[in-house]
Amino acid sequence: MPEETTRRLAAIMMGDIAGYSRLMGADERGTHARVQLLLRELIDPTIAEHRGRVLRTRGDGFLAMFDSPVEAVRCAIVIQQSMVGRNLELPSTQWIRFRIGVNLGDVIVEPDDIYGEGVNVAARLEQLAEPGNIYISGGVYEQIRYKLVCGYQSLGDRKVKNILDPVPIYRVLPDPAAVAKAARSRKVRLALLGVGTLVAVGIGGGGWYFWERAWERHTEAIAAGTQPAVQSAPPLAATLPVTATPQSAPASTAPDQSAPSTAAAPAAQMQAAVIPPRVQINQPEPKPTVAEPEMIPIAGGTFRMGSTEDPSEEPAHNVTVAPFLIAKYPITNRQWRECVNAKACSYVPNGGDDAPVSNVSWDDAKQFVAWLSRASKHAYRLASEAEWEYAARGGTETRYWWGNAMKPGLADCKGCGDPVQPEKVGTRTANPYGLYDISGGLTEWVEDCWYKDYRGAPADGSSRSGVDCRERVLRGGSWRNDASYVRTSSRDSYDASVRYPTHGVRVARSP
Amino acid sequence: MLTRRLMILSLLPVTSTGAFAGPTPSPKDAYLYIIWPGDGERVKSPFWCRFGLRNMGVTHAGDATANMGHHHLFIDVDEPLDPNQPIPSDKKHVHFGAGQTEARLELPPGPHTLQLVLGDANHIPFDPPVVSRKIRIIVT
Repeated sequence: MPEETTRRLAAIMMGDIAGYSRLMGADERGTHARVQLLLRELIDPTIAEHRGRVLRTRGDGFLAMFDSPVEAVRCAIVIQQSMVGRNLELPSTQWIRFRIGVNLGDVIVEPDDIYGEGVNVAARLEQLAEPGNIYISGGVYEQIRYKLVCGYQSLGDRKVKNILDPVPIYRVLPDPAAVAKAARSRKVRLALLGVGTLVAVGIGGGGWYFWERAWERHTEAIAAGTQPAVQSAPPLAATLPVTATPQSAPASTAPDQSAPSTAAAPAAQMQAAVIPPRVQINQPEPKPTVAEPEMIPIAGGTFRMGSTEDPSEEPAHNVTVAPFLIAKYPITNRQWRECVNAKACSYVPNGGDDAPVSNVSWDDAKQFVAWLSRASKHAYRLASEAEWEYAARGGTETRYWWGNAMKPGLADCKGCGDPVQPEKVGTRTANPYGLYDISGGLTEWVEDCWYKDYRGAPADGSSRSGVDCRERVLRGGSWRNDASYVRTSSRDSYDASVRYPTHGVRVARSP
Repeated sequence: MLTRRLMILSLLPVTSTGAFAGPTPSPKDAYLYIIWPGDGERVKSPFWCRFGLRNMGVTHAGDATANMGHHHLFIDVDEPLDPNQPIPSDKKHVHFGAGQTEARLELPPGPHTLQLVLGDANHIPFDPPVVSRKIRIIVT
């Protein structure tokens, strides 16, 4: 290498025009002129404004380098947003839509160009990106997730040609914070939009719209190159009632912070990352004792899982489950609040102590079982879907655990008597295994990743995992569902990161 | 053309519950629509349904920023919308709380209706509700 080259860490942005050759085929001269105008009017100045450096512009794209990943992604958002506005007045066949990739990596800098793996990854991200979208690497995501309040959709790890390790990829989703603020923001590029109000325009690929001014929550400088990890998370105590007694016994309990259960733990972390949790949890477990949920031991056995009543429950198949324990009741607000007090659960429930905790996401539920395991020294987890159904059936093969017909009063659901938001667990009849509130009331999260049916499902009672699993399985139906949802084989799904009022949790563990 | 907003509000009782902090206001010019498929379209299942929203933003559920919400797709729903309750969650009311703006739908052959309803941070409809026109499609 010549001596004048230097290596450094940089945020690299690569953009190109989707369908460039098609555009050129349709109107070569016009397209070329429009792209040159765009580069001159929009791309170059926007990059400069965000303290970036344009290194190459080709006929159909550009390469730029930034010191700050935040600025790089902001710049990308401005470009995409402006393009939406510019395309507005044109027929869709003439739209110019950029795909943009942003990577953080080590590059070799020469006076007029940059090289290296970091550039290759940016190029690959850009190729993967849908038109009108911004894809960023895991490195960029880690740097910006708490600084740029956008949605980030994890797309899992992708192999990149000639690069050994798979690269985690995220798609930047519309900035959730900016609408109200952006309206007042000098920086909003209304002129470029050519309209007086912010216009959110759906475009074929995914209804993109952008606002430039992303909300900066944290002003700490970006230490490029350091690994931020979760520990550098935002200050969190503000939203938590600080009533916990921080007893200093971290030495005894510190080691096992990870969720105890199964192979799904990495997937869980990935999920949690998709939408930055409002509160980040990193407290060593202080309490040596905790009131553990009342657990019912379930002997193992083989049963017929599924039914022919809904495509999602097919094919019915035999599953053999090993012995396990499952909670007699759903977790209550009282139990959950212990986790909140220990600063281990970010979700703070409303409602009476004896009511089952509701409005919890799957991610919340995982926080709870992780805390409960640390606090109790028992490996609590969510039940697998197979375990849940086995326990809910209580040895029966009928539609409900009491038979094939709905009987008023046995389940809290729509059309099953008087549906009410449950205020107390254990007020109805238990199923044959002694489980209360298993049908109706609140729908319960289980561990499994959602698949639309049982093709390929395990037969050993284990949970089904998935790379980049966005949706998880819910079982049991709720007080706002009709009777078909409280059948023991009924399945439902929901985004793992999202809270919903009728979702609750029941814990399980192995003997 | 598409109506700006379905005037279902007039059919619905005035908010009176104290369970929530009150309805979340929506901007006057909010406009929710289904980009694809078009009304009356014949489509092959599975297909992509794409959501369009103007003058408001899409965010994830739980985010209470003004003028932001998330999509809910009503499939073959005939019941009137309850403006005071969280939008139901079941196979006919599909939630997009992660801020999705499109969905892959798999529907049995035959006629179906699709309609979008925007929900606030707590999945409750805005005031006035931001609702798309209900479209009819035929799945082949």
